[in-house]
Amino acid sequence: MRSAYLVPAILAVLVLAPMWGLLSLGQLPGFEPQDLQFWQSAYIRRVVFFSLWQALLSTLFSVAPAILVARAFALNGEFPFRSLLLRIFGLPLVVPSVVAVMGIVSVYGSDGWIPLGRSLYGINGILLAHVFFNLPLAVRLLLPLWQGIPRHHWALAGQMGFSGWHRWRHLEWPALREGLPGVLLLVFMLCLTSFAVVLTLGGGPKSTTLEVAIYQSLRFDFDPVQAVILALLQLSLCVLVAVVLLKLQKLPEVEITISSAAGESGKYRSRLNRVVILVAGIYVGMPLVSLLIDALSGPLAQVVANRYLWQSAGKTLMLGLGAAVLSVMAGWFLLGASSRLANRGRLKQARLIELCGSIIYVVPPLVIGTGIFVLLSDYIDVFAWVYAIVIIVNAMMGLPFVIRTLGPAMRKNQMQYRYLCHSLALDGWNRFRYVDWPLLRRPIGLSAALVAALAMGDLGVIALFGTPETATLPLLIYQQLGAYLIPQATATALILLGLCLLVFWVLERCIGGKANA
Amino acid sequence: MAKPMLEIEQLCYRFPGGGPEKMQFDLSVSAGEVLSLIGPSGSGKSTLLNLIAGFLEPESGRIRVNGEAIEQLPIAQRPVTIVFQQHNLFPHLDLYTNVALGINPSLKLSLEQDQLIEDALDSLGLSGLEKRKPGQLSGGQRQRIALARALVRERKLLLLDEAFAALGPALREELIELVKVLVQRKKMAALLVSHQPRDALIASDRTAFVQDGRILALQPTRQLLEKPDLVEVRSYLGSL
Repeated sequence: MRSAYLVPAILAVLVLAPMWGLLSLGQLPGFEPQDLQFWQSAYIRRVVFFSLWQALLSTLFSVAPAILVARAFALNGEFPFRSLLLRIFGLPLVVPSVVAVMGIVSVYGSDGWIPLGRSLYGINGILLAHVFFNLPLAVRLLLPLWQGIPRHHWALAGQMGFSGWHRWRHLEWPALREGLPGVLLLVFMLCLTSFAVVLTLGGGPKSTTLEVAIYQSLRFDFDPVQAVILALLQLSLCVLVAVVLLKLQKLPEVEITISSAAGESGKYRSRLNRVVILVAGIYVGMPLVSLLIDALSGPLAQVVANRYLWQSAGKTLMLGLGAAVLSVMAGWFLLGASSRLANRGRLKQARLIELCGSIIYVVPPLVIGTGIFVLLSDYIDVFAWVYAIVIIVNAMMGLPFVIRTLGPAMRKNQMQYRYLCHSLALDGWNRFRYVDWPLLRRPIGLSAALVAALAMGDLGVIALFGTPETATLPLLIYQQLGAYLIPQATATALILLGLCLLVFWVLERCIGGKANA
Repeated sequence: MAKPMLEIEQLCYRFPGGGPEKMQFDLSVSAGEVLSLIGPSGSGKSTLLNLIAGFLEPESGRIRVNGEAIEQLPIAQRPVTIVFQQHNLFPHLDLYTNVALGINPSLKLSLEQDQLIEDALDSLGLSGLEKRKPGQLSGGQRQRIALARALVRERKLLLLDEAFAALGPALREELIELVKVLVQRKKMAALLVSHQPRDALIASDRTAFVQDGRILALQPTRQLLEKPDLVEVRSYLGSL
């Protein structure tokens, strides 16, 4: 049973070591007691206020329309391009933030279809990007709530002559109410810790979040004390939100795929609902289409011919695959330990172990990065270890996805075949070879594909420790953007997107194999 | 009368996390006998089978097979083989492999063992289906395969945990008759958990009535079902 705690223990070390580093800030070089007053400065107040304010607005602008869109999808059982549209809504999951940012610049930038000009940079751009990511996510989280309404309830509602309002009040709202707070808080948390979007689209001290402020104080101000104070603040905010989220414990279980969900309940078609879906679909699709057009008409050939680009692409690929392998393995052991505990009736411990996998939501990458920097920079050259650090942090970021994708399948497998395998003495390698692998390779493939795509597109810790020599594609895009080479950045973004989708597809196919009967 | 093949003495079990009160079982079954267990759902019938198979750990008590205590043995080493109501077969493996796993989990079989599988499939009317996948079979055929695997494992004790509950009456009767023949031929002992009193009538000379984690009555089946003297049995059966 000791193995049950192995992965959680490793995770705890990874999280606690940096925190210990953060807390030992008194020993930092150049520390003066009056530095602590920084924490009461107007700068901090502004940064905290902006972090919360942009997260709040992003959440409202993402989830409120998502309710309308999810409802429209749920009530329109079939219409042309329904599954294609749902697929588009799965896409932002594997679209790197920098790519989305380039797409948004391409639509709303000064040369775009809907030019916002200079005012794109700042809260407007941040909101546009956050809605691009979180509206589809919220739709996919909310849609199962409608699908959870029993078929017979719809039939009864029809029999009793419910109007649209009655259906909403007696069927839909009660179902929605269960999951809505969880979805709201999750989106809030994601926006609160969002880094790449704010880094690229935020401008100046007026629109800086804690996450970006940490980066700036380490990277530009060379002020670890300030970074540590910011990191501790960010940590406390995240813990606060996470505690509320856990109290609710109502986050709907959703299978994360980019294929379309099946089994719709209602058949209440209306033109308005289709318009809602179409508008949302255009909103999500437009940046990608615009990016494609801009990149193809831009200096794509020149960018592709650059050797430096392909070196970056190679590093990106290596980081993605490394994170995928590490994350899936960690998830496998974590889930195995958790389900063994659950089988023994120790449900609390089982849940606790699974929660360990989501620790990254509470301790965001930049906080871990700061901790690593503070703790290890005296002993090793953290810039030389950048790949190892990035792989580990990205694997941790992928872990919640692995647990959500692989968890349900593993639990089902365990429930159905546990006794049978015990009685046949199928264990260890034999059990893996004949039972687990054939039955679980699909979710394993999907998890690996997801983590690889996420890690390849991540601009987080790599921004903190990366140098021009170690740049990955996302960092390269950021550097191009910083040098106002927007056409080049757009072309690179298209290549990164293509690479992510390709790796996603290849991993899902190669590992997942064909469907089993 | 010969010494019973399976003896259960004061076998106690309590569900983790409190729950209903302690269960306690006493029972014996002789070679060649199929003993039925009936009773309301949640009464402890399946729990008893799970304790014998080793899936659950008893608090105290003895389980003997041919006089030897087995309650300390690891699951796979117990002289026991079990057939569930569903999920007996792995859907992605063909029938031959599903049966062969019962002999050796690493699938390295001798020629004699190969022959054993062929004979078992033959005796259950399944020859020629070796390469099929479980999904291509009817529910009755799937349970026959599960039985075939139980047979090739050559264990003394056969546990049927509502193994035929999902099948229609005629098919159930057919398979129960088959089990009776096989149990006698192989000198095994069998426990049959069922929700259908009719199954007990077909399968067993003796039937045990289980409620609240105890065996309240162990009588000749006909007497138990047709002239029940316990009020619990009468209320379980309803008016017959």
